[in-house]
This record gives sequence, C-alpha cells and structure tokens, in this order.
Amino acid sequence: MTGGYGPGPFARTLAWMAVIYLVLPITIVIPVSFTDQRFLSLPRDGLSLRHYENLITSAPWLSAIGQSAMIAVVSTLLAVIAGTLCAIGCWRIGNRTTEWLRALMLLPLIIPSIVYAVGLYRYFGALDLLGTFLGVVLAHGVTGIPYVVITVSAALSSFDPRLEQAARGMGASLSQTLRWVILPRIAPGIASGAIFAFIHSWDELVMVLFIASRSIVTLPRKIWDGINENADPTMAVVAVLLIVLTLSLLLLDGALRKRRDA
Amino acid sequence: MSQAHALSLVGLTKRYGSFTAVNDVSLDVAQGQFLTLLGPSGSGKTTILMAIAGFVAPSAGAILLDGREITPLPPEKRDFGMVFQGYALFPHMTVAENLAFPLRVRGMERAERDTKIRATLDLVQLSQFAERRPSQLSGGQQQRVALARALVFEPNLLLLDEPLSALDKKLRAELQDELKTLHRRIGRTFINVTHDQEEAMSLSDTVAILNHGKLIQIGAPDALYDRPRTRFVAGFLGKSNMISGRIAERIGATARVSVGATTLTQRLATGATGDTVLLSLRPERIALLGDGETAENMVEGHVSAWSYLGAGHSLTVETTDLGSLRLTLPTWRAPFAPAEGLTLRLGWPSDAAAPVEDDGDE
Ligand SMILES: Nc1ncnc2c1ncn2[C@@H]1O[C@H](COP(=O)(O)OP(=O)(O)OP(=O)(O)O)[C@@H](O)[C@H]1O
Ligand SMILES: [Mg+2]
Repeated sequence: MTGGYGPGPFARTLAWMAVIYLVLPITIVIPVSFTDQRFLSLPRDGLSLRHYENLITSAPWLSAIGQSAMIAVVSTLLAVIAGTLCAIGCWRIGNRTTEWLRALMLLPLIIPSIVYAVGLYRYFGALDLLGTFLGVVLAHGVTGIPYVVITVSAALSSFDPRLEQAARGMGASLSQTLRWVILPRIAPGIASGAIFAFIHSWDELVMVLFIASRSIVTLPRKIWDGINENADPTMAVVAVLLIVLTLSLLLLDGALRKRRDA
Repeated sequence: MSQAHALSLVGLTKRYGSFTAVNDVSLDVAQGQFLTLLGPSGSGKTTILMAIAGFVAPSAGAILLDGREITPLPPEKRDFGMVFQGYALFPHMTVAENLAFPLRVRGMERAERDTKIRATLDLVQLSQFAERRPSQLSGGQQQRVALARALVFEPNLLLLDEPLSALDKKLRAELQDELKTLHRRIGRTFINVTHDQEEAMSLSDTVAILNHGKLIQIGAPDALYDRPRTRFVAGFLGKSNMISGRIAERIGATARVSVGATTLTQRLATGATGDTVLLSLRPERIALLGDGETAENMVEGHVSAWSYLGAGHSLTVETTDLGSLRLTLPTWRAPFAPAEGLTLRLGWPSDAAAPVEDDGDE
C-alpha cells in the first residue's frame, strides 16, 4: 500500500457499506442468541444463556448435531479418497482427456444444487436410497469431491515430477512412491480439501430437503424446520456454533497453507 | 558386492512425433568405465540417459546390460543409481531419511540400514549433516547427498545427469575431483551427462560426442582432442583453427596442401591429388618462430587482437592465405609485449594439424 492514490470518500463509503451488508446478517445472530426472550429477538432486559442451556439439554438438537457431524465426517472421507485419487490419476496421465475429466469433476460446484437435488431424488428413488444415511453421505460426498480435486490438483502442480522419477528409479513401487513421496508432499492440499468438503456437508440444506425423509435430520434441516414451525432462539445459538466452527476451520486452513508455503 | 555392469546401446532411437531426439545411437560402456555423454543443449543427452534408466521408451533399438536385453524393464526393476539434473532430493525428509529411502524400498532392516547410511555419508563427508533437511544445505552439499543417495544401495551402474551444472566454478572443480576419486575407489560403471567439455575431458575414460541426436564420435578424451573426426568435434572440444585447402601433391604419408598461394606440408593418410581437405589446427600447436628458426610449415602475419590469460597470451594473427589464426603462447615463452600490427612468423610441424570431415557444424 505504498505509493498510488488512496480511495476517495465515495469508494470508501461504498466499500464499507458492502462489508456491513455482508457481515451484518451473520453478526446479528450473536446478540440474538443471548436473548432473554422466548422468541427470536434482540435481548431486552439483559443477556441470558438459557438458550445455550436449552441446546445442550435438548435431545432433538443434540441428535441433529450428532447426525450432521457423522454425515460430514463420513462424506468428507469419501470426498477426500475419491477426489485425491482422481486428482493424482489425472495428474499422472496428464493428457487432453484428463483435462476434460477434471473439468467434469467440478460440475457439482457449477450446477445449482437444486438441479442436482432433483436429479438425485429421481435417481435415489430407484435405488431405494431416499431417506437413508447412506444416501445423504453419498450425495454430500460426491458433491464434496470438487473441493478436494481443486486443492489437491493445486498441490500437485507444484510437486516436482522428478521426485516421483527419483523414487521409481530407486526401485520404489507405485504404492510406495504414493505413500512415501507423493502423499506427504500434497498433504496440506488434501487437508484443505477435507476442510472444505466438511464445511460443504456441514451446512448443506437443499439436497437434504429433497432426499432425506423425516428419519435424517441434519442441523441445517432442523433450523429450517424450526424457522417454519416456531421462532425458537435456540436456532440463533446453533447458528453461532455453525459460524464458530466454520470460522475456526477456515483459520485452520489458513494456518496449514502458511505452513506449506513457508 | 556384485560386479560392475557393462552396458550397450544398439541403434537407440527416440522420436517425438516427426522429431527425432535420438537418432540410431550405438555404443558400449565396459565394466567400471566412466563414460560421459557430451553435446550442446538439445542434442539428446538427457533422452539417452532417461532411456537407459527406463523413463523413456525407445522408438527403436535395444539396451543391453551385460549382454541381456533390458529395454522393456520398468525403471524400478533396473537397479541403477541416478543423480538427476537438479538433484530431486525429497524435501520432506532429512538427509538420513533420503538415504534410507532406497534401502526401505528393498525391505532392509533398520540396524543394517543405519550402518549403510553412516558409511555412505562418511564417503561423501556429510556425516554431521544427517539430520538436516535438503533446504538447509548448500548446493554442493545437496549434490553430495544426491550422490550418496544414488550410491547407498550399491547399484552396479550410476547415471548422472549434469550433476555439477548448478555449482559455481570452484566448487565444480572440487566435486569433479571427488567424483573421480570416488569412481576409482568403488569401481562402478558411471555414465555422466554434461555440456561442459572441460568436465567431460577431466572426468571420463570415454567421451561420446552427440549433436542433433546423433553420435558423432566416441573415444578417449585425448584421442578426441588430438584427432577429431569432424569440424563439429574439433570446435566443440576446445578451440581450433580451420584451414581449408586442396591436395597439390602426395609424397608417401604426407601431402602438399595448397591454400591460396601458400603450400603446407601435412601428414595425411587418405586423399588423392586434387581433393579438398579441411584441417583443424589447435592454437597451442602453433609456435612463434625466432630469427633464423624454421619449421615444416611457416606463415607470416600481423597481430590483430590479443588477450592476456594469466598463464599465457592468446593472439589472433592475420595472414594473407590462411585467414586469421588463433594461437596461445605460455607467458614465459612470449619474447615481447604483444601489440597490434606487430609482424610475426608462425610455424608448425606436419603432424600438428588433423584432417577433419566438414559436417557444416561449427
Ligand atoms: N517429451 C518430449 N516431447 C517432445 N520433444 C522432446 C521431449 N523431450 C525432449 N524433447 C526434445 O528432444 C531433444 C533432446 O532433448 P534432451 O533433453 O535429451 O536434450 P539434452 O541434450 O539433455 O539438452 P540439455 O543440455 O539442454 O539438457 C530436444 O530438442 C527436446 O526439445
Ligand atoms: Mg539434459
């Protein structure tokens, strides 16, 4: 920021308005979560932790958190394994076809998730996967793959291919080369991908609405139901927890990146 | 410990589309020999080495190890040590872990591994750096780690792709000596790639000169230097004066070669009267003639440029018929301070110049 012209008052105002516009809806839930009222509102007579208490003693909320975490962990695992293998495979073969394949893998990121959800609904119906844990895990896992493909491909693009040749030249098999040379080098990329895949599953709602029946209630789903049925401030508490978790995961990702670049 | 290997290339060819990177190269490397592939950038040196290592599949030809064909074997089955251009050390491992890699691959026990690693680090004088990462080492130290990693599993053939090119001149000279000593001590077969002619000459038993993917000449360094087969070899291995003339008369093993109005006496095994010949005359073979001194070949000219090289002078002398001749004189033999326009008499014996083929390449 040395030299050059600073922003004028107009640009500065506009920039701040944009920031407020983006951040305000997120921050508003923080005071709301401390409300002393029985409905979604700002605190009136003082701050209270009663809704936090309600959350940790309420079986349905806890079960929703548990379900969400379970689904996120398993689908992240799926996305990481499939995405990493796909990225490594494309990188090793490295021709026109794999370029296309890699572009294809990014589709779930580009297509509106409602379109994807409609497709899944039809498809999963035929496979008897609607309303099952496996169905949701598959849906989240597959749509989480692009994040892993992107971050692992980025990590691989800075991987020196001569390291692989060196390993093979010293007699290492493909799996030894993968385990001892390639994976340790791209681990930060895999971790980044895992974090994004986790966040993706953790706050995904549209597909869950379509393919999960009453038996699978994830956290976003529970909030959605709550908004429609009653304005319970516990939702604000959950929202705060979601924000905290997502932010800390992003910070973790930042820290990992910094370590890799160092 | 098993024997060092002998390696042969038979008609090795590599094409990329319509482009031929390696063109019908055949050569033999005897057990325990130090062979260097020497050539300008893009001449196909790395491609040949990669074909030997198994990373490049030849389009035609065969690679034989002790007479057995290994052309279809994948790299991990060949058991060659290799030092890559730029070293390719594993950055996430310490020096000791880098050396442990080929041993782990072979399923060696930890205790045995440690003994081997220690012995090899001693060999390249890096024992105190075992726990460092490659990024914490200097260029010369990294180079020695790469060498140690290629040696630790006792391969019978070592492939080196420009192992010294990233180093400064002084370090390069030091490591050249180390490499040479090492080769003599362990008695393995080394195949080295370089585009540095001095490195090739000082290290190798045999030098193979490549240009445009073709093997131009192969032989001992002094043979290549004294009897280059083509104009390209003469120009690539050091400096040379090129003299083009016509055979005027043949007397036994020598010939009278006329170049303009000058006639030279030249030892010449082949060629008949009337043929054109191209002669390569090394600058250090030309002597300065004092008053009354004579030589088989004598020309007169005047100095047009000179430079002082410490150990000697390099002079460019303009002659009427032979064009400009470059010569080098040891400082202690130069009886004058060179000056532009100074007239000198030059001479050389009939066996000083070597006849070369004109391959159109400088
Ligand atoms: N994968 C490839 N596809 C197409 N052409 C290639 C490929 N690899 C090498 N070549 C070409 O083959 C020729 C020989 O390359 P090679 O790397 O063997 O040269 P080199 O002698 O090692 O050169 P340098 O001294 O610059 O390392 C070059 O002209 C190069 O452009
Ligand atoms: Mg090369």
